[in-house]
Amino acid sequence: MSIVKTMGATAALAFGMSVLAGAAQAQDCTTKIGAVLPTSVDWGRPIAETAQFAVDQVNAAGGAAGCEIEMVLRDTQVDPKVGVDAAKALVDLEGVNVLLGAVSSGVSMPILTSVTVPSGVLQMSCCSSSTAFTGLATEGKTGGLWYRTFATTGVQSAVGAKVAADQGYKSVAVLYKNDDWGQDMARLIAADFAAVGVEVTASVAINDGQPSYRAEVTEAVTSQPDAIYLALYPAEGTAAVREWLSLGGTQNMILANSLKSDEFRDNVGLQYLGSALGTDTASPRSESADAFRAAYQERFASEPNGPGLANSYDAAMIVLLAMEAAGKDASGADVAAAIARVTDPDGTPVSADTAGFTAAKEVLASGGNVMFQGATGNVRFDANGDVSAPAVIWSFSDAGTEEVEFMSLNDVDAFMASLK
Amino acid sequence: MIQHLLDGVLTGSYLSLGAIGLTLVMHILRFANFSHAELLSLGAYVALVCDALVSGLAPFLAVKLAPLSLTGSLIIAILISMVLTGLSALLIDRLVFKRVREKGQELSMVFASFGMALIIRNVIGLIFGLSPALYSRDIAFAVILSRDPLILVKPDQIFVLIAALALMFILHLILSRTTFGYSLRAVAENPSLAQVNGVNLQRTIMAVWLIGGGLAAVAGVFYGISHQLIPVMGRDLVLPIFAATIVGGIGSVYGAVLGGFIVGIAANISLVILPSGYTPSVPFLLILVVLMIRPHGLFGEARA
Repeated sequence: MSIVKTMGATAALAFGMSVLAGAAQAQDCTTKIGAVLPTSVDWGRPIAETAQFAVDQVNAAGGAAGCEIEMVLRDTQVDPKVGVDAAKALVDLEGVNVLLGAVSSGVSMPILTSVTVPSGVLQMSCCSSSTAFTGLATEGKTGGLWYRTFATTGVQSAVGAKVAADQGYKSVAVLYKNDDWGQDMARLIAADFAAVGVEVTASVAINDGQPSYRAEVTEAVTSQPDAIYLALYPAEGTAAVREWLSLGGTQNMILANSLKSDEFRDNVGLQYLGSALGTDTASPRSESADAFRAAYQERFASEPNGPGLANSYDAAMIVLLAMEAAGKDASGADVAAAIARVTDPDGTPVSADTAGFTAAKEVLASGGNVMFQGATGNVRFDANGDVSAPAVIWSFSDAGTEEVEFMSLNDVDAFMASLK
Repeated sequence: MIQHLLDGVLTGSYLSLGAIGLTLVMHILRFANFSHAELLSLGAYVALVCDALVSGLAPFLAVKLAPLSLTGSLIIAILISMVLTGLSALLIDRLVFKRVREKGQELSMVFASFGMALIIRNVIGLIFGLSPALYSRDIAFAVILSRDPLILVKPDQIFVLIAALALMFILHLILSRTTFGYSLRAVAENPSLAQVNGVNLQRTIMAVWLIGGGLAAVAGVFYGISHQLIPVMGRDLVLPIFAATIVGGIGSVYGAVLGGFIVGIAANISLVILPSGYTPSVPFLLILVVLMIRPHGLFGEARA
């Protein structure tokens, strides 16, 4: 067994050496980091490849904390049980103290509570958006080991409230999809509407696959609101909105990003959607985001259009920068604590590539802090490990959708702070 | 409350039409046909195609009959769809159910019908895509009957209710006044005895499928007019229709009519009492309650 292991390590090392032939310095040690991602689904594989892309760039700069980085990837199959087993294997057998993943909130959550927090391992997710993590962090149950580079649904709902306030709506009825996401949205939007002084006249759950939404919609119509907020998917959204309009409901609508679909626009009819405004999170309009797009295109010969790619890249890069900052043989908690040093708004700006990592090494070695300018902009975590994101307000047009207003990260942060 | 009651009656009208066909098939062929609701989808989509064809051939028919969103071409399409869906039901029986009936048991029939439901649903999805379709993209606005309390009714739904009641009345006349109606009831009562008395069993079964399919097509189109067409509409409708059939009593056409209205009203009124997240459970509860009080449904009778 030990022979096999040694052979494996030698082979890995030899492979690493050959890759690093042109690198500044060759490493004689390897640090493993774990990744639990749904590689068996079609949109999951690019997320993992993007993380590996970041690891490759760091290795080209001589690795992190003096060692070459090896990312050990395990599949979650989007299944909490499989994900927890994979994470446990990585932590116990591979001995990683840094874990990237998972994608779905439902998978990330059990990994966090039963694997990473008990073992003191840093967990950085690219794609989990549930506000349940924020709740857990507020209660102090994540031990500061949880971070994510994906904005929570809180951004959506805050922007929804901004739309209502800007349009001067006094009262709003809410129709929401009866699942985890919809319930989360309904709860958040109610709080945000209250914060901007908009009354919620009715909050009605819409179940999937019902033959008729007449009764649900009637409930909302009879509360006679100024506008309606829709956190629905296109199929039941179309049915509910047509019913809503035919019953004389207002055409003032605020839509969650799930309704940003041509199917919804065509079936409801553009003539009825003139006063409909939608919300969505957006990619930042910054040079670093463009640079990532260009680098991605060069590496994979396609646009980074899949979900969570920029977020996955930043998750990996920030973890590696933090490992560099924490130094050799750092524990998961040390690396987690070092994240503040690499995402410091007052630090030296570093770009998201090999050159940026090399530059960051020098700054960190001299005791300075850096500000990572990544694929999702200047990433900044709050006390709960959450990030914010820029947002757009959009409306339907003949061509599809068009942007009404772009809110930069600072605008979003300022607005969300004003709601508290 | 009045609004919910009214909505329930209007919803009930297409549920009743669907339940009539199901109750006849379940009674005479003695199996729970889970693919019956798919005949509604089939009928609705056949009418969608026919509507496009008819309005293409005769554009003057494509004008809306105000205040309804219904067009002359859609009415013709409904009639064509009734025939085609009835024939499809017959064809499905020939190809699948007849063979299973001759060799298998009651349970095999139930599984066969499950399979048929999946096949029909997915074929429709393959042809028309999984997103919703509509007979008319224009929204038919509701008419305000009263402002306090606020009562709204769509003209289309009044038409649906009247048309459904008219169809039920015609069926009632056929069943109670014609020789064919008597032979149908005789077969339901006792197939062997009916045959001995000169009733053609094969022909009666064919008639049952034609009637069931035809009414299902109308119900499907009415559903499409009231809401939207979507390939999974059969899946969404199968439970309310089964509930209507069982509540009314298997085999009773009048029970099915009443059952449809009860399920429609209950689903609408439940929202007054229950949070909206729990409304899908209402048809189940209704079946449970009725079966506990009357094991054979409201109008059903025990049979040997």
